Amino acid sequence: MPLLVLTVLHRRGPLHGYAITSHIQNLSDALRVEEGSLYPSLHRMEEAGWIKARTITTEHNRRARAYEITASGRRQLGIEEARWRSVTDAVNHLLKHA
Amino acid sequence: MSWLSRIASAFRSSGVDRAIDEEMTFHIESRIRDLVAGGMTGDAAEAIARRQFGNRLRLREESRDAKLLPWLDSLGRDVRLGARMLRKNRLMTVAAIASLSLALGACMSAFSLVDTLMFRQLPVHQPERLKYLTYSAPNPEMPENDTFSDPAFRRLRDAGRGQVDLFAMGYASKPRVTFDVASGERETVRAQFVSGDAFERLGVRPAAGRLLTMQDDQRPGAHPVAVLSHAFWMQRFGGDPGIVGRWFVVHRPQEDRQFQIIGVTEPRFSGVEPGYSTDLWLPYAMQDASAFGNAQYRTLRVIGRVKEDVSPDQVHSVLQAAFTNFRRDDAPAEFGANTPPERVAQFVNTPLHLRPAATGVSSLRARFQRPLLILTGIAALMLLLAGSNVANLFLARTAAREDEMSLRLSLGAGRGRLIQQMLIESAIVAGAACLIGVMFAAVAAPAVVSLLRTAEDHVLLDVHVDWRLVAFISGMTLLSSVLLGLAAALRASSVAPMTVLKASGARASARARALRPFVVMQVAFSVIVLFVGGLLVRSFVKLISVNPGFAASGVLLLSWEAVQPMDWHQQRTALLEVLDRLRDVPGLAAVSAAEDTVLGRVRDDVSVPGTARETFETTMAAVAPGFFETMKIPLLAGRTFVRGDFDTERPTVVIVNESFAKRYFGSEPAVGRRFEGRIAGSLGHEVIGVVADARYDLRKPPAPTIYILIPIRSLGILHVRVSGDATAIADRLRAEVRAATPLFRVTSVTALTAMVNRTLVHERLLALLAGFFALVGLVLTAVGLYGTLSYAVVQRTREIGIRVALGARAVGAVRSVLTDSARTTLIGAACGLAGGLYAARFVETMLFEVALLDVSSLALPLGMLLLATLVAAALPAWRAARVDPVIALRRE
Repeated sequence: MPLLVLTVLHRRGPLHGYAITSHIQNLSDALRVEEGSLYPSLHRMEEAGWIKARTITTEHNRRARAYEITASGRRQLGIEEARWRSVTDAVNHLLKHA
Repeated sequence: MSWLSRIASAFRSSGVDRAIDEEMTFHIESRIRDLVAGGMTGDAAEAIARRQFGNRLRLREESRDAKLLPWLDSLGRDVRLGARMLRKNRLMTVAAIASLSLALGACMSAFSLVDTLMFRQLPVHQPERLKYLTYSAPNPEMPENDTFSDPAFRRLRDAGRGQVDLFAMGYASKPRVTFDVASGERETVRAQFVSGDAFERLGVRPAAGRLLTMQDDQRPGAHPVAVLSHAFWMQRFGGDPGIVGRWFVVHRPQEDRQFQIIGVTEPRFSGVEPGYSTDLWLPYAMQDASAFGNAQYRTLRVIGRVKEDVSPDQVHSVLQAAFTNFRRDDAPAEFGANTPPERVAQFVNTPLHLRPAATGVSSLRARFQRPLLILTGIAALMLLLAGSNVANLFLARTAAREDEMSLRLSLGAGRGRLIQQMLIESAIVAGAACLIGVMFAAVAAPAVVSLLRTAEDHVLLDVHVDWRLVAFISGMTLLSSVLLGLAAALRASSVAPMTVLKASGARASARARALRPFVVMQVAFSVIVLFVGGLLVRSFVKLISVNPGFAASGVLLLSWEAVQPMDWHQQRTALLEVLDRLRDVPGLAAVSAAEDTVLGRVRDDVSVPGTARETFETTMAAVAPGFFETMKIPLLAGRTFVRGDFDTERPTVVIVNESFAKRYFGSEPAVGRRFEGRIAGSLGHEVIGVVADARYDLRKPPAPTIYILIPIRSLGILHVRVSGDATAIADRLRAEVRAATPLFRVTSVTALTAMVNRTLVHERLLALLAGFFALVGLVLTAVGLYGTLSYAVVQRTREIGIRVALGARAVGAVRSVLTDSARTTLIGAACGLAGGLYAARFVETMLFEVALLDVSSLALPLGMLLLATLVAAALPAWRAARVDPVIALRRE
């Protein structure tokens, strides 16, 4: 989950929770999860300092919390990407040669 | 962990919850809107949105844990780490907690005393609307007078009707009473005459029976009823409800009188005078018959409840007019025909004052205010001293932990966390100190009250913990913990990891410099306490070594009373018989009597015809023959009193002291001169002798004094000079008095020296406590200085090592460190002296013949502190200089 969220935030800039969900769903139907579980995950990442939140007003004139990736979040994204790559490489390697 | 979140909820969660909820609601609403835009009905869209979102409650719990746990967790970890660090540095922790708890405890005791005496409101209905009346004394230096006569009270009450409800509460008297008629046992109680409406006006309710009303106060002498205070009811009768309706006897010299107990006041009310509790109240109408209509018989305090919508100024102008009218009518009776008119005018136009009585009417307050405020000031200084001491220790330790801090910083700890860590450590210290301080205060405050108490003066200060004290203590703890930790915390958080980990020598001197302001502060506070404490101690030593003009040691005072009522002549005969009888007792060198003890005094106006000053105020003492021999006051001219002078009912012979003779007769012989004016009810007196000066107040130079014979109404206090062991003879004296006359008995035997000591109780208390604080302060400062200076020197070990390696002599290195420390101390001492001189102005009136700026009051504190500094710096400096340069250089 952090990898997905960080990637979306890194590419698209500040987004609120609903927009993040929509983005992930638009790009991939396979990754459809329980929508609400995004929020505890967002809050954990916020406490870890990877993303930060600020209050914005939407086009429908509603108050919402928009999340933005931080410097340490970008570092974390690098780490997560590398880990993901090494895991998938390892799995691919296994699938190919086993 | 959810119980932890729940605890944390108490502090932080409502805001967190709301934010999470808002965010989730926004999500669901956005989804519904999109689904509806896609052509779905509202209800179906909502159902789908909710299903897709999942269990909202569980998700919220999860989010909340994510947000609160790290904070809780770090708090818990910081507390554990803090406790561990404090345990590791046990010596420092103990020193910090000990000094802080001592100072906090001192502050709390002082504050609770001040609060009890000065700030606590009376437990009555709307106390802020209560006022009491005073009037200026003829001499502007004297305190305002607050005693009124019966006719004055009536005039004022009638004049003020409509604006203020005035009522009278007499000065407390201490009659002897018998509750248990069968045994006839007598006891002394504190009784107060009050006008019938007093309880109603105050708004006090009964706990049993009923209280006094105007019905009990109609005709003089016709209402023998009494109300007990709740405290006295509990203490004397164990709260026996059957007490209402019981009769008891009040003993008076002329007659005994039966009174019936009609009720008990509610528990919280113990009179209107803080520090004293009244045992029983009697109706105004039951006063001595001579009180009524007698403008000279002044025993009443006049208190009033100002009516709603009436300003105090209105009340004042009405009462002032009535008071002036009353005095104008009264003046002819008060003064002789040849009194100067300006004196009469001054009497008539005496200003009346309306003073707030919300916190009670107290003579105690006026007497104890200054000593208590001085004590509070010293206690506050102690707190500052202990505070800066602990701040010093913390700061030094933080500097020593720079390595730890910089490591944590470079591993990614937030500066906020480091500040939190330091503040938690100081909060642990402050909290522990606060607890110990409360325990200390619980013991110390009553101890101070008991020190203030004397035999005649049963000061009863109810020092209990109330919300004000709790607020004060919490405030103090909070403040001290933040102040203590802050300097250290800021310093810890401003560490630059790079420089620290690189370890440079420049850092060491920078650290030492950072400590300097605190060392200066600490020295300054310490000097103030030492200086003021020294003044008070030296003043007390001077006071007890002053020659009073009489020889107190070996003199015993016997109070005695008649067993049954008798007339004045019987009483006088008994006094003479007892004096004769005691004179023959072996072991007694001299025997006499005096109306008051030697340090009690009466002041009166006396006019001496033919002198420059027609009328003047003078001290008067009523004594029996043999008094000067008993007290060893030398006779300078003429003769002393003899038995023959006693034979007339209104004796006209007087003896004056040297000061009196010098001041009013100059170089002319005093013996044979006559006075006009009224003394003790008789006119026209002749001086028969002059005696040496004796001080009736040790603090003041001897006052011009007239000695008269004991009036026939007074039984006096027996004075005996014992040639041997004074304590062994006390029982013998009781037996002799009983043998001389079965109608009298001795109620107490006191040594005159003890009496003299008791008159100095305030000075003694102040000197004792101030001296104690000064010593503790000195020790604290020495310990603190040692801690910080030795730390600073250790930091410079490398520098010293280099210098010694380059050929400097060890002594030179030590000297440079010492000069540095001495300079810091001297700066602090200079600040402290300036502060001390400022502070001394507040204690000046308590001082006796002590100059503020003499050598010993300056040299002592300065010398001691400088010595402490030098020792504190020299030991580590010497050690540093002895270190092998190679080791010193390798150290870093």
